[in-house]
Amino acid sequence: MLFSTIKKALFFFTFFLFACNLPGGEKAFASPDPTEQFKPFLEKVVGNLADPALKKLSKKEQAAHMIKVVKERFDFTEMSKRVLNPKWRELSAQEQNEFQDLFTQLLQFVYVGKIEDYSGQKVQFTQQRMRGPRAEVQTELVDANRSIAISYLLKLENGQWMAYDVVVEGMSLVRNYREEFIKIITNDGYSQLVKQIQSKVNELEKQYTEK
Amino acid sequence: MIKTTLSSLWISQVMRGGRLALVAVLLLNATPVLAVDLLDDASYESVPGEMVADPIEPLNRAFFAFNDTFYLWVLDPVASGYSMILPEDIRGCVDNFFYNLAEPVRAVNCLLQGRISDSGIVLTRFVINSVFGVFGLADAAAHEFKLDPVHAAFGETLAVWGVGDGLYLVVPFFGPSTARDFLGVGVDTFAMTTYYPWRDDDMTLVSLAIAQRVNTTSLHLGEYQDMKSMSFDPYIAFRSGYFQMRSKRRQHGQPVDEAQLGN
Repeated sequence: MLFSTIKKALFFFTFFLFACNLPGGEKAFASPDPTEQFKPFLEKVVGNLADPALKKLSKKEQAAHMIKVVKERFDFTEMSKRVLNPKWRELSAQEQNEFQDLFTQLLQFVYVGKIEDYSGQKVQFTQQRMRGPRAEVQTELVDANRSIAISYLLKLENGQWMAYDVVVEGMSLVRNYREEFIKIITNDGYSQLVKQIQSKVNELEKQYTEK
Repeated sequence: MIKTTLSSLWISQVMRGGRLALVAVLLLNATPVLAVDLLDDASYESVPGEMVADPIEPLNRAFFAFNDTFYLWVLDPVASGYSMILPEDIRGCVDNFFYNLAEPVRAVNCLLQGRISDSGIVLTRFVINSVFGVFGLADAAAHEFKLDPVHAAFGETLAVWGVGDGLYLVVPFFGPSTARDFLGVGVDTFAMTTYYPWRDDDMTLVSLAIAQRVNTTSLHLGEYQDMKSMSFDPYIAFRSGYFQMRSKRRQHGQPVDEAQLGN
């Protein structure tokens, strides 16, 4: 008896909370809409992943092609900066450039893997939120049986929303690498980190050409 | 139906016992465990509360290596074979079934954490899915009623009550956890076995636990290998990944959006 009363109260409370959560209010300031800018780009990426012509190219060409598409809305400088922070500031401009190239090469393989795995999943835009010049565009990658939450963190640069991190199910690409890189830098120094990324890139390259 | 009655009985028993604790929590006005805003640069620095001590790293690394071998040589081959026998739809249903069975425990954990409305959602999901989803085989609540799954576990309940993580733990056959959360897993599992329809037979319990594990693995084939091949020190990558995913799972609702507040 008591239980059913509690249950009724719970339901009432739930619905009350639902009602409070209804979307309200317009955006307070006028910067371009992140989702509006990012949506066509993501659709292009997915279109490329699904393109049968791409699968005929060699892995190396696939990687080069995808990175070209992705560069349109991914700021690899910002990504490199964040992944190496605070070490980044100590590097010379040339070292920064070298690191950025190397890190971009590493990230290529994230996308090559995605070409292989892609099997018709759709991107759904669930929500966005803004905080000053930053925005998070939340998406779900869905197929018949499951959905994966993928968030893109964007920064407003000259009127363009550029991505600086991808968060898959709460796991941030940049934060993950940052933690690994910091550990390598503290233990073995920066030059060792560069060496390790280089050998990882070679290893992945080899792995994909053998397939 | 029998299951529903059984579990509501169980809930009322637990509630009777846990009422004092519940009142205590409500009086303490439980605060959210972790609030990480990814848009904040601070989230790229070490996040306090997310950096759990790892004093037994050498031992954890040994268990990590053990789990790695176990996954690559036993679990993955078995799950791959299983995935060839059963189509993905059916494996998805099996997954839903096990998930649904654990809903009463989640509802109680929500209550113990002072998340009253979440508890209502979980119970509603349980009823809808048990009835319209045919014993939880389909997630009708999410698809037809827009009631998405809500996460709650006893590890989180302990966190809300102020119990610290203790230390990072890689558990053989199980994977990354912390001392507190693994204790929570034990409590949750024990609570579930009290109302499982097959709770009297240990052999069945163990076989079903294995079946559930194989089924879950079969829905995530290749993910472990992908992440491992992209990382420099898989131990660190998975440790960091575990804490990040956990903090996302426990972040109920969105961080406040300044734009919506009109700042």
